[in-house]
Amino acid sequence: MSQLIWNGLFVGAFYSLVALGYSMVYGIIKLLNFAHGDLYMLGAFAGFAMLGAAGGVFGSMTLLPLLVVLVLTMAATGLAGVALERVAYRPLRGAPRLSLLITAVGASFALEYGMHLVAGADPRVYPVRLGGTTLDLLGARVTVQQLVLVLIAVALMIVLNVLVTRSREGRAMRAIALDPRAARLMGIDVDAVISRAFFLGSALAGAAGVMAGAYYGKIDFLMGFLIGLKAFTAAVIGGIGNIPGTMLGGLLLGLLESFGTYWLGGEWRDVFAFGVLILFLTVRPTGLLGERVTERV
Amino acid sequence: MSEFPASANPANANPVNRSPVTGPGRRPRRLLPLAALTVAAGLALSGCGQGLLDKGGKAEDKSSPIVLGMLVPRSGGEAAIGPYMTNAAQLAVDEINAKGGVLGRKLELRPEDDACDPKTATAAANKLVSSGVHVSVGGYCSGATLPTLPVFGKANVPMIIPAANSQELVDQRQKHVFLINGTGTQQTDAAVAFMTKKGAKNVAVMHDNTSYSKDIAVQTGKDLAEPGGPEQAILEAVTAKESDYGANVTNVMAKKPDFIYWTGYFQEGGLLIRQFRQAGYKGPIMVADGSVSPKLIEIAGKADAEGVYATMTQTPDTLQGADAWKTAYKSKFGSDPGPYSNQSYDAVRLAAEAIGKAGGTDGAKVIAALEAIDGFQMFSGPLKFTPEHTLTKGGFQILSVKGGAFALEDALA
Repeated sequence: MSQLIWNGLFVGAFYSLVALGYSMVYGIIKLLNFAHGDLYMLGAFAGFAMLGAAGGVFGSMTLLPLLVVLVLTMAATGLAGVALERVAYRPLRGAPRLSLLITAVGASFALEYGMHLVAGADPRVYPVRLGGTTLDLLGARVTVQQLVLVLIAVALMIVLNVLVTRSREGRAMRAIALDPRAARLMGIDVDAVISRAFFLGSALAGAAGVMAGAYYGKIDFLMGFLIGLKAFTAAVIGGIGNIPGTMLGGLLLGLLESFGTYWLGGEWRDVFAFGVLILFLTVRPTGLLGERVTERV
Repeated sequence: MSEFPASANPANANPVNRSPVTGPGRRPRRLLPLAALTVAAGLALSGCGQGLLDKGGKAEDKSSPIVLGMLVPRSGGEAAIGPYMTNAAQLAVDEINAKGGVLGRKLELRPEDDACDPKTATAAANKLVSSGVHVSVGGYCSGATLPTLPVFGKANVPMIIPAANSQELVDQRQKHVFLINGTGTQQTDAAVAFMTKKGAKNVAVMHDNTSYSKDIAVQTGKDLAEPGGPEQAILEAVTAKESDYGANVTNVMAKKPDFIYWTGYFQEGGLLIRQFRQAGYKGPIMVADGSVSPKLIEIAGKADAEGVYATMTQTPDTLQGADAWKTAYKSKFGSDPGPYSNQSYDAVRLAAEAIGKAGGTDGAKVIAALEAIDGFQMFSGPLKFTPEHTLTKGGFQILSVKGGAFALEDALA
């Protein structure tokens, strides 16, 4: 039982990290950034390239270079996210929602097959692998590396939450989410703030990419597709646009999958997880912590 | 097997739904319309060509060479396998020509790229047919080979398929199709025989829900259900293309298996091996031919992959007493033969034999000659086709990872 919970939480932590980018962007400009999963892939490849380039510099240490690469990758994918927004989304700011959605799908393809051109279709294997020193934690088999990864994920999420709720920047984001036009009238540089939101969301996805690469070892150019869908789902369960809700949504989806596999077998896992989701959303359409949207006239 | 190039994944020979990573299998809804359009265009174009050329093709010059068509992937994700097959086929052609050819006529090999992709393969097959090939000796990816069966069939061109071996090819019951690689059913027989030999009692069978993989897994389950021998502990399906199989691993471990058989591909296979070892599973793990690739070892990590078994048909590395052949191959092409080199070589020899016996290139006669063949020596042993046009014995053997590469463990003779 505790093993199932731990499996679910571990996978869920990855979903949460990626889901946050979806949620932030949606919360602020009501855009479903379908290319977000591919930023996760981009992060994994950026980390791969950096570790490859750093090669012998770090010698036998694994955790320190990984942390350095993690930070660098976050910066790189963050900037990629900003560039993506600048190129693909900003010119369409006033366009109908549907055009933006199609652009996002196009951006996703561009990233995937761009990476296909650069890195090829063969999967790559990370040069640094996080092994496993197994601990027994309340009957669950847990490795130290898993714990470290989950702690990093939680720390990143907390930092993000503080940033959004406490900082001046966060207040600007929330203001734009409420009413972009009024925010602009109040002297907020809307474009700059949106850029920063993309930076934060993309950096988190990049971090998740490096962590997945280092832990699981295998990366390929389509790795972002499935997790992108899952993260989107997680964001919706949690209440898209709501940051703590999104975190909970990711963990919940992870747990649902873990228990679904246990109860019904791997073949029925997705049927179970998504069936529960549909039921849940019919009862609570705004998600776990999403607020009811009241249209004021 | 250490010479496998990174992308030479014999795996991909088998699955019917196999497509290169970019193929339609991955995202059917996005690529389907395009695929349909291309196929339609390809059919229309090649259809015309065929009609025009057929008229000239009938009056056959008896001194012209006998043309063997060969569809293999030479581009795309499986491109690395192409040269292994065409080189070996060319070697056989040259040897036969050096001895005077067949019925006084020279052999000519005409390779075409199928890119391991159904629509490219169909167009290429049409091209070969319209250029007047007499026998087809190609076919690597089952998914790409399947749609070419009717193309060759209509033109009455016999097909000797060296590598593709999905059960679906057999189930078509096409008179002109002959498979000289072991089939899925034969693979499960070999797998269960080895499990029994190892004294396994409780076998976990895992697949990835693709038709190729599930077929083998379900068939293995049926074999295990028969009285005597090991029992099936669990049939577990995973979702391909994910990274975390912790939940599946926990499921399987709860059944306390003493043997695990994975029937999917090397990407998930590598992750599963690693995650099972991390979960503390110490027993044997075996993978099907879809996972026999150096990438499997790389993904699992050398330490975790050590000792993993695999069911696989013969490769040049596991051939006994074929050193002269390997040397001939190497001196001609400057590289070692690879997976399916031996089968391709045999396909050409078999085609020559059948044409010689038939006394000409007439499709029906060659098919009859192929059916009548008994005891023709191939790498896989003396040949006699079953009524389904498959090998009597699959020739599957057991490999294991030794020192970071696949090597022969048990020939299951």
